[in-house]
Amino acid sequence: MKLNNIKRSMLSFWNEFRQTRFGIFGLITFCLFVVIILFETAIIPFPEASTRWRDISYWEDNPKGAAPVWVNWFTSTKHTPQKVITDVELKREEDSGFEFIDVVIPYDYQYDIAPNDIIFHAMTRGEVTLMISLLRPDGDEILLTEKSVNSTTLRDLRIPISTNSLDNVYNYVKQHESFENIKAKPKNVMNSMQVLFAKAEEGMLQNPASLQGEYQLKITAVILGEGEFLEPNLVISGNVFGLLGTDSFKRDIWSGVIAGTKWAMLIGLMTSSLAVIIGVIFGVSSAYFGGLVDMLMMRFYEIAASIPMLPVLIVLSAIFKPSIWTIILIMCVFSWVGPVRTVRSIGLQIKAETYVEAARALNASHSRIIFRHMIPQLIPYAFASMALSVPGAIVTESTISLLGLGDPTIVTWGQILRDAVSGGAVLQGLWWWVVPPGLFIAGMGMTFAFIGFAMDTILNPKLKTR
Amino acid sequence: MYWKYVIKRILYACGGFIIIMFIFSALFNTIMEKTLYDQINETVEMEILNRSSSGLSQEALDVYKAKRYDYFIKRYHLNEPVMQRIFWRAVDTITFNFGKSTLMQSPQGDREVIKIVGSKIPNTLILFTTVVVIDTLLGIALGIKKAQKPNKKLDQSTSVITMIVYGIPGWWMAMICIMFFVYLIPIFPSGGIHSVPPPTGGFAYFLDMLYHLALPVLVLVAIGFWGRAYLIRNLVLTTLQEDFIMSARARGLSENKVLYGHTMRTAAPPIVTMALMSLLASFGGSLIFEGIFSWPGMGNLYWVAIQQNDVPVLMGLLAVTTTLSLSGLVILDLIYGFLDPRIKVGGKA
Repeated sequence: MKLNNIKRSMLSFWNEFRQTRFGIFGLITFCLFVVIILFETAIIPFPEASTRWRDISYWEDNPKGAAPVWVNWFTSTKHTPQKVITDVELKREEDSGFEFIDVVIPYDYQYDIAPNDIIFHAMTRGEVTLMISLLRPDGDEILLTEKSVNSTTLRDLRIPISTNSLDNVYNYVKQHESFENIKAKPKNVMNSMQVLFAKAEEGMLQNPASLQGEYQLKITAVILGEGEFLEPNLVISGNVFGLLGTDSFKRDIWSGVIAGTKWAMLIGLMTSSLAVIIGVIFGVSSAYFGGLVDMLMMRFYEIAASIPMLPVLIVLSAIFKPSIWTIILIMCVFSWVGPVRTVRSIGLQIKAETYVEAARALNASHSRIIFRHMIPQLIPYAFASMALSVPGAIVTESTISLLGLGDPTIVTWGQILRDAVSGGAVLQGLWWWVVPPGLFIAGMGMTFAFIGFAMDTILNPKLKTR
Repeated sequence: MYWKYVIKRILYACGGFIIIMFIFSALFNTIMEKTLYDQINETVEMEILNRSSSGLSQEALDVYKAKRYDYFIKRYHLNEPVMQRIFWRAVDTITFNFGKSTLMQSPQGDREVIKIVGSKIPNTLILFTTVVVIDTLLGIALGIKKAQKPNKKLDQSTSVITMIVYGIPGWWMAMICIMFFVYLIPIFPSGGIHSVPPPTGGFAYFLDMLYHLALPVLVLVAIGFWGRAYLIRNLVLTTLQEDFIMSARARGLSENKVLYGHTMRTAAPPIVTMALMSLLASFGGSLIFEGIFSWPGMGNLYWVAIQQNDVPVLMGLLAVTTTLSLSGLVILDLIYGFLDPRIKVGGKA
C-alpha cells in the first residue's frame, strides 16, 4: 500500500465520518479541550495552579470552601464576591527623617453577607509602622489595628484584618449593642467582619443587618529612616469565589480543573495509543506467522488478558508510589490486550488476500509484509479502538488518584476528587468541589466516545441498516 | 470431544495461574519479605514475653529467641538466594497461605488473611449479581426495541445517551447521588450493608439489606444499562441480517417468533458471556464504588487495606481476585463451548 493509497482511504473515511452528526460533535468538543489546554494560563486566574497546587502560601488569600460567584444569581441574600483592589491613592509626605504615607482604598459594598476577611498587602523594607482604620458609610471611623514591622529586605507584608482587629471592633460593638447580647457572645466567637459591615444598632452582634455603601480603608504608614513602602493592595476575601468556588484548602477549583485537562488528555491519548499500537502489531504478527508462533503468542495473550488490571495497578501504586509516567506505562502493559482478538481475526482475513501472497512470492521480508501490507488496512480500526479506550484510561488514573496513590507532583481531576472525598465535601454538601472534576472526566470521556462510536459505525456497515 | 476441550482449558488456566503468581511474587518480593520479617519479629517477641514470667534466665531467653528466629527464617526460606525465595513466596501464594494480616481483622476477629478476604466475597456477590441481573434484563428489553427500528428516534437518542455516560465514573455518580439522595433529600441510607444495629428477625433483616442495596444498585444500573443495551442492539441487529432469519421470515413465521425464537436464541451466548464478564470485572473493577458506599465487599477491603498499609491483606486480595477472575474465565469458556459447538473445535479462526 502506497502512501497515496493511505491518503485516499483516509480521505474517504473522513467523508463518511463527516456524515455522522455525533462524530462531528465529538470533534468539536475535542477541539474545545485542545483550546483549553493551549490557552490554559490565559483562562485561569491562578496561572501557577499546575505547579503550586499543594503550596498553601499560593492560595492563602482565598476564602475556605467558598461557593461559585454565580450562586448569587439564585439567592435573595447576596454574598460578597472575592475582590482584589490594586488601584489605590497614595500620598507621600516627608518630615524630619520620617516618611508619612497615606493610603485610601475605597470599597463599594452592595451585598447582604459580609466578606470572609479583608487582607492588606504591601511590600515593605526597613522599620515601618502602620495604622489601619475603616471609614463606614454612616460616618463612623474605626481604628482597626496598629502594626510595626522591621525587615532588612523588601518583602511582602500581609495583614488579615479579621484576626488583628478583634479588640478594637469589640469595643466599637459595645457602644451600640445591648448588654445581654454582648454577654451572650464573647469576643473570641465574634465575627469582626460581620460587625464591621453591619448597621450600628442594637443587635449588630447577634443578627447583623448589612450596611451597604461606600467604605474606605485608610492606612497610614510611617517609615522610620531608610525604608520603603510599595504596592499597597487590598484583598476582599469573599464568601463566593470565581467560576467554580474554592475547596477547603482555599484552592481555586476552576484553576485546578483546567490545569488538570492537559494531564487527562496526555494520560488518555498516550495510554490508548501506545496500547493499541502494541496490540495491533501483536495481533497482526500472530495472525501472519500462524502455527506454533501463533499458538505461543495466543497463550501469552490469554495469560496477560486474565490478569485483573485495576487491582494489580492499585497494589503496584500502593507499594511503589510511581510517577505519572510509570502509571501510564503500567496501564499500557495491561491494556494492550484489548484489540488483539479482533486484530488477529482481521489479520487472518488479510493474510488470505492474493496481494499478500504476491508480496511473499516477490520475496518481501516479513516486517515489510506486516507493516506495509497488513497494518495499513487496520488503521481505521486502530483509531476507533484508540478513541474508545481513552475514557477508560482517564477513569483508571482517576481511580488510582482517588485512592491517594496518584503522582503528587501534578494535579489531576482524580486528585481533586480525592481531596474532596477526604475533605468531607460530600458530607458538607460542597457540590462545587465534587461536581466539576467529575463533569470534566465525563465530558472528556464523552468526546472520545462520540468520535469512537462514529468510527465504529463506519467500520461495521452491518450495524447501520437492517 | 467436549471433555478433551474441558481438560485442555483447565490445564491452560492452571498454567496461567502459576505463571501469574510467579510474576506477582517476583514483583512484590521485597515488600513481602519486609512484612514477613516484621511478623517473625512480632511472633518471637510475643513468645519471649510469654516465657519471661516462667523464671528462665536472660541467657536462656536469648538462646531461645535466636533459636526461634532461626526456625522461622528457615520455615519461610528467608536464608536462601533470591530466586528460591521468590519461588517459595509463589508457592505460598498458590497454596493460599497468605499468613496473618498486620492490623485488620475479619468480623469474627480472625487475623488470617484468607478469612478476612473470604468474609467479604458474599457481600460483593450480592451487590453485583443484583446489578448485573437488572442491567441485563433492562439491556435486553431496550436493546431489542432499538434493533427493531434501527436509526429511528428511539435508537438514536438512546445511543447518544450511551455515548454520554460512556466515560462517567460510577463512583463519581455515586458521590453525587449520595450528596443528593442522602444528605439533601434523606431518603436513602448513607452506606453500609445494614443499619447499626441491624434489625432482628429474618424478614426485617432482609428488608433492611434491600434498603441499603437500593441506591448503589440504582446508580450502577442507571449508568450501566445503556452500554449493555447498545451492545445487545448490535448483536441482535447483526443476527437479524443472517440468512436463516430471512428464511424464517420467508416461511411466514410471526415477527415475535423470529425475534425471540430465532434471533435471541442465537444472540444468547454472547449476552450471557457479557453479563458474566461484567460480574467478573466487578470483583476488581468496582473497587472505589464499594468504598464510596462503604459496602463491606472486596473493593472496600482494598481501600481499607491501602489506607492501613496492610501488605499481607493486599497481597491476599490480589491473589484471590486473580483466582476468581481466572476461574470465572474458564467457566465462561466451558459454558460457551457447550452452547456454541464451533468454539471447542478451536484451532484456526
